[in-house]
Amino acid sequence: MEQDQRIIVGVYHLSKTFGRHFSLHDINLQVANGEFVFLVGPSGAGKSTLLRMVYMDDSPSSGQVVVGPYVSTRIKRNTIPELRRKIGIVFQDFRLLDDKTVFENVALALKVAGVGLTDIKHQVTDILMRVGLYHKRYDFPHELSGGEQQRVAIARAVANRPSVLLADEPTGNLDPVVTKSILELLFKINAGGTAVLMATHDLDLVKSFGQRIIYLEGGRVVKDKDMIFVGDLREKLAGSPVSEKADRLEDHDITGEGGRRR
Amino acid sequence: MNLNSFRYVIDESMTMISRRKAGNAISIVIMGLSLLILGVFLLVTLNVQAVIDRASEEMRVYVYLKDGTPAAASRDIQLKLLALKGVEEVVFVSRDEALSTFRQTLGDNKDMVDALESNPLPDAYRLKIKTEYIRSEYMEKLAGDVGKWPGIEEVRYGEQWLARGERLVKGFYITDLAIGLIIFFSVIFVIVNTVRLTVLSRQKTIEVAKLVGATNAYIRIPFLVEGALQGAVAALLAVGLLAVIHLFAKRYLPGVLFMQGEAVAGFVLFCALLGALGSYGAMRRFLKV
Repeated sequence: MEQDQRIIVGVYHLSKTFGRHFSLHDINLQVANGEFVFLVGPSGAGKSTLLRMVYMDDSPSSGQVVVGPYVSTRIKRNTIPELRRKIGIVFQDFRLLDDKTVFENVALALKVAGVGLTDIKHQVTDILMRVGLYHKRYDFPHELSGGEQQRVAIARAVANRPSVLLADEPTGNLDPVVTKSILELLFKINAGGTAVLMATHDLDLVKSFGQRIIYLEGGRVVKDKDMIFVGDLREKLAGSPVSEKADRLEDHDITGEGGRRR
Repeated sequence: MNLNSFRYVIDESMTMISRRKAGNAISIVIMGLSLLILGVFLLVTLNVQAVIDRASEEMRVYVYLKDGTPAAASRDIQLKLLALKGVEEVVFVSRDEALSTFRQTLGDNKDMVDALESNPLPDAYRLKIKTEYIRSEYMEKLAGDVGKWPGIEEVRYGEQWLARGERLVKGFYITDLAIGLIIFFSVIFVIVNTVRLTVLSRQKTIEVAKLVGATNAYIRIPFLVEGALQGAVAALLAVGLLAVIHLFAKRYLPGVLFMQGEAVAGFVLFCALLGALGSYGAMRRFLKV
């Protein structure tokens, strides 16, 4: 399907079942180019599963995902690497290669895209400067702190100048101070024009930033703050127990205070 | 895949191998030792085969002529013998020649021959049979047919020895094949599994490469190169150890043969292919998407 040029990630009526169990149920959401979106929900809400559908590591049971020109229902297996080079992905556990230096870890993303060595050198240097780790370029991941490792992972994810960065609990393993610095880095990247879709269970962490927040619970979108094309979903939810929960969340959101939601 | 990618893939292969020396060394030793077992088996087979070949090479059929067969009739017989299927060579052995050979065979007891008043031995033709025709049934038929010709006294070819030898060779081949297959499949299993483990130990590398958008070929080639190299080096190790064993064996059995250059090359290539296939198979489940 064709989607609005302003949208980089579109999820349409996506459901995913594992066996008889619904993991994601009729998900509709869109992320505009250059937008910063938090995907918030408790563990098991389906955030990671949804992100995996977006980078097409798994395919929906029904519905579809559209990322730029790539459509999950039509994409060929050998086109997926091409898609992956146009999106950046970071995880809670960094996923750096232990036997490669910081420089090589970041360079990998460019190498697989067939970028020339001179360009790689320039680009990696540039990115490592931006994430503040140029001085550690010859270190191996185990010589770095958690926050530094995540910076390397982010550097690798944005090396190809992707139009969207997916982050799955990127601060899950980090202390509050480092968490804040990682968020700042993500905002900085977003300010450069890259859309960011960050999944987290930690509402308190993200609610004060004023970014769009999509709430996911039990495999459903229970609230989407600035829904672009999901108006009909809001209607559908009206009056259902789920919407009550959404209202509570909204209250929660407005006060900007209160304890953790879990 | 462009030229840059190609260069990176080669780089990647080299880095991968050089940064995992210990792991690779262990894999190669495991593979090398199991290949050594296969090598010893092949060497034993090769040598037994050589003994069997030599035995059939040396086998001769003697066609004894009746006393007083005229020279012309004898020559006819020679031509007829040559025309027989499976006959490679027909040599005339005169009675005098036979006697002197007999005398030599007796050695210190040659007085026994000297005591004879006249030469009791007949003229004969000595036939060399092509190896593929040396079979009990065929030889029996050949001997039977020739024995009925006029002017032929007797045909001899060591029928009991042939039958016994045949049984022995058949038994050897069956046992050899059975053992060979068991060793062969065990070795394949060991190699494929060892290579598999090295792939499994780098599951994360594969995962990360996929995440950043590496094509399957880009991910696969370094592993294939590594698997092939492991196989080849393990094969060379096995051949080296085998050469040492051969050197010792030669002290006790001077005629012991070793594999030919081409066989060694084939062996190494085969193991390289096996290593690469092992890698390929192990990676299949990771590269589905």
